[in-house]
Amino acid sequence: MDILVFVCAAAMILCGALGVVTLRHPVHAALSLVLTLFGVAVLFVAQNAHFLAVAQVIVYAGAIVVLFLFVIMLLGVDRVEDLHAEPFKVQRPLAIVSGVALAGLLIAAVVASQHTNVAARGAGLPGVNPVRNDLHDGNIVALSKDLFSGHVLAFELTSVLLVIAVVATVLLARRSRGIDAAPTDGQAT
Amino acid sequence: MISALVASDFATPHVDYHALAPEIVLGVGICLLIVLDLFLAESRKWLVSTVAGLILLGAVLPVVTLGVIGSDVRSMFDGRYVIDNFSLVLKALFLLSGYVVVLMSSRDTEERTPYQGEYYTLLLTSIMGMVMMASARDLVSVFVALEFLSIPAYMLAAWRKRDSKSNEAGMKYFLLGVFASAVMLYGMSLLYGVTGSTRLVDIGQAVTGTDHLVGVQVLGIVFVIVGFAFKVSAVPFHTWAPDVYQGAPTPITAFLSVASKAAGFVALSLLVFLAFPAAKSVYEPFLWVLAAVTITVGNLLALKQKNIVRMLAYSSVSQGGFILMPLAVAGTGDARTSLRAVVVYLIIYAATNLGAFAVVMAVSRKTHSGEIASYGGLFNYAPGLAAVMTLFLASLAGIPPFGGWYAKFGAFKAVLEARTGAAYTLAVIAAVNTVVSAAYYITLMREMWMKPAPDGDESPVRVPRNLVAALVITGVATLAFGVLPGFSGYGAITGLAGAFGR
Amino acid sequence: MLSLDLLPHSLTLATVLIILLKVVVIFVLGLVGTMLMVWFERKVISGMQNRIGPNKAGPWGLLQTLADGVKLFFKEDLIPDKSDRFVFKMAPFLAFVPAFLVWSVIPLGGDFSGGRDGSFSMFGHRTWMQLADPPIGILLVLALSSIAVYGVMLAGWSSGSKYPLLGSVRASAQMISYEAALGLSLAAVILVSGTLSTHGIVLGQSSVSRWSVIATGLLPFIVFMIAATAELNRPPFDLVEAESELVSGFNTEYSSIRFALFYLAEFMNTITMSGIIVTLFFGGPQPVRFDIGSLHVDPNLHLGVLSGTVWFLLKLLVFLYIYVWLRATLPRLRYDQLMNLGWKLLIPVALWWFIVLAALRIGDERTPRWNKGVVLAIGAAVFIAGATLLVVANGVARRNREREGAMF
Repeated sequence: MDILVFVCAAAMILCGALGVVTLRHPVHAALSLVLTLFGVAVLFVAQNAHFLAVAQVIVYAGAIVVLFLFVIMLLGVDRVEDLHAEPFKVQRPLAIVSGVALAGLLIAAVVASQHTNVAARGAGLPGVNPVRNDLHDGNIVALSKDLFSGHVLAFELTSVLLVIAVVATVLLARRSRGIDAAPTDGQAT
Repeated sequence: MISALVASDFATPHVDYHALAPEIVLGVGICLLIVLDLFLAESRKWLVSTVAGLILLGAVLPVVTLGVIGSDVRSMFDGRYVIDNFSLVLKALFLLSGYVVVLMSSRDTEERTPYQGEYYTLLLTSIMGMVMMASARDLVSVFVALEFLSIPAYMLAAWRKRDSKSNEAGMKYFLLGVFASAVMLYGMSLLYGVTGSTRLVDIGQAVTGTDHLVGVQVLGIVFVIVGFAFKVSAVPFHTWAPDVYQGAPTPITAFLSVASKAAGFVALSLLVFLAFPAAKSVYEPFLWVLAAVTITVGNLLALKQKNIVRMLAYSSVSQGGFILMPLAVAGTGDARTSLRAVVVYLIIYAATNLGAFAVVMAVSRKTHSGEIASYGGLFNYAPGLAAVMTLFLASLAGIPPFGGWYAKFGAFKAVLEARTGAAYTLAVIAAVNTVVSAAYYITLMREMWMKPAPDGDESPVRVPRNLVAALVITGVATLAFGVLPGFSGYGAITGLAGAFGR
Repeated sequence: MLSLDLLPHSLTLATVLIILLKVVVIFVLGLVGTMLMVWFERKVISGMQNRIGPNKAGPWGLLQTLADGVKLFFKEDLIPDKSDRFVFKMAPFLAFVPAFLVWSVIPLGGDFSGGRDGSFSMFGHRTWMQLADPPIGILLVLALSSIAVYGVMLAGWSSGSKYPLLGSVRASAQMISYEAALGLSLAAVILVSGTLSTHGIVLGQSSVSRWSVIATGLLPFIVFMIAATAELNRPPFDLVEAESELVSGFNTEYSSIRFALFYLAEFMNTITMSGIIVTLFFGGPQPVRFDIGSLHVDPNLHLGVLSGTVWFLLKLLVFLYIYVWLRATLPRLRYDQLMNLGWKLLIPVALWWFIVLAALRIGDERTPRWNKGVVLAIGAAVFIAGATLLVVANGVARRNREREGAMF
């Protein structure tokens, strides 16, 4: 059962990821991304991490990709890109070679590590206590505890970061007539 | 680390408000700036820059008191946030270089942009990320700090929205920056996967580079280092730097080339000394290659530049290589010497480079040009500026008695103490490059002292007061570090809590 | 035990049967309910407008929807030339499926009278009148409602025509904006109930005074109700299909069974959203039990397992009626009004009230309890300060826009 779920989810993730890269149409690529995100959510559920799964769907599939699509539609760039113009001829084969090499490296590293039997090393990875599943929502409790004790500073400061990101975005998106149309030369450029 | 998980055992984390005071002052200051900007009439917007400067100085105050009162290590949140001498020195460095950048900006932004409140808010946020980075001892905090300092910087690089060069700068910086973050995050997730903890010291104990997980460990280490190599613009991950430096407003260029780079090096040192000390067989060769290539390529490209900002950009790439040098031998050599060399180099380089950019700004107010050739005759009409610029250039080139020589001396000392063939080779490469680098610094000096002004216009340069202040601060610092190396109390910097324990 | 586990060792015939039965019942009930809802809406609106409404097909016109469905089913299925065919065909399902899936976490019945927990026995297993009770319960609803955006959005885009595109752009902006307010008011309920599980939320609301609508102080309910209406794209927030501006909005190019799917999804969403409101704020299938001071009212319908279902349906009907009533009476908002309402009123208010609730909660747990009046007074002060800042900020923004001639 576990292996079945994993294989299905992994297939979803891989198909989606390949789709993002290979599909020429931006909207189709964005939809493939949704497929990948769902695959990841399924894997989370298989690991009993329900909260992460649902957060994945709400935040990534529900908000971020929707915004991608929103921008694609509003900007009217929902056309198939012409990818034949090539400034450097060697770029593409080189990218393929290095991509394949990196993938090979990753697979090799994982295969080399597969002998690590978690059970043989005692209580799993050092420092990780298994989440208690006897509580109905033990997972959420564990997550929030971790977030609000050890990582509380990073968590709180992230809120400042979000505010600043909004400020920056508004500034970037703002289009005004007149004011910053003034010539800006004279800088040491 | 996930602790035991019953509903009742949640303990409110202990918060040491004195230790967090710099961050709190900055955080409150950021909110204050946003609100203040709201109430200020357009004619009184200059107040914003003053307040921003005051906030930065206000944040330095608790750093000083923390340094004076009780020299012991303050650790919070299960050792995830640590205030020790290392972090205090660097916090002071970030805050003060931020202050100099504010000084450099205040005249610049007044004339050019209506969005002053936002400018300083973003600047302060970026500085806050750096301040946080100095104390972060956990992958999550390190990553949050990194995003904290980067995201406002992306926007600041693209500040002049109507200028296509500035847009290009922002775009390139953003795309490469997020790509680097992604690579690094992948590396972090691998590290977390093999160690089960996000705390750097736990990772340091688990990542030994020997057991059967070695493949994944190596990938994790390399990816994380690559991510930060982008941040410190080490070759071959430097391609963004010249374009961004050229396109961004000059104060921001100075900020990026100094503070942002320093923050990257802080993170690298944290990782090297806390998270990977046992994996020196992995990171040392990698950093060795990075350092050697960075110094050489940066120098060779700097030689060809005609634009002063691009020249300084490549020179800062090459200087970054010098800072990588002690890290590349941190495991085999003496770790304390290496750390000290990095910190000293960061401090002196910050003072010198900020000063050089301040001069560039002052000169460009008159010449409206960034060409090296436009510096001809500077000595005739602005002898003061020419003298200060010479001071900074000499310091960058490493000529005694200016600060730079002491920094380079420290770096070489750390490398030579490792006493291995690789270390000696690296030292030789660096030494050759030091000589090469002198060439382009001296070209600029010759231009200033010997050549006539290109257009014959020898009217004096009007340097605004805040730029003068910036020049004085950086100039005095550059001189003082060189003449009196002991004066800055370097001895205390060796305390990076948790490192060297083994 | 109570929660059915799909792991192989517990996968017996009985559990499979129970699950299959629940799925079928929910599916059928959902479809029939939607059919009746369409009839109900048309009948009520015609009543409010002094018309008769559907009255030919079946008794009181009950079968009118069925007739419409058959008609749509046999119509020609048109796919526009400029459409993106794959996405065009997929969009109706993306709208329809989430609408159904929400039913799986709503408690539909069970005997709660006299403090029982609503479980009953079936094939030797204790179970609930609810398909699934995942630990993240109510968040699943949010997740599904965010998936539902795709249906509308892609339908409009893939039609390859201007009006549907405008409709779908409006829809996605609107749904994303109001999801924030929805989530914040939901958080207030979760804060009070202390669990995400829908069954847990219902169990906690054993009497009227403990209903979340009262326990959270009414405000989250109002915000939720408004935000939910906007999420549903129902009047007065139906800018997505504003017929005076956009023909029929995102579904202009759809016909035949594909249109029927959108139509069904819209009405089914209305029912599910009412179900969620009942579950979250009004005790779901719990009986209306008063327990205030000396007043004890504990009505028992003596219907066993079905009594919860009856209570649920009664409460559901109230909200369905309110939705129809809103549609019949309120004029449509302008687009900027919609956005202002969402971002500048609902979200700040929901957030503020959530913080006040959290402060009250913390105050209750401290050993010398905090004075509730003081907490509320500080909350009011914070509200005034925040509101002032917001007003000033809006004023400055408006001034700047005018001076700079900015576009937005």
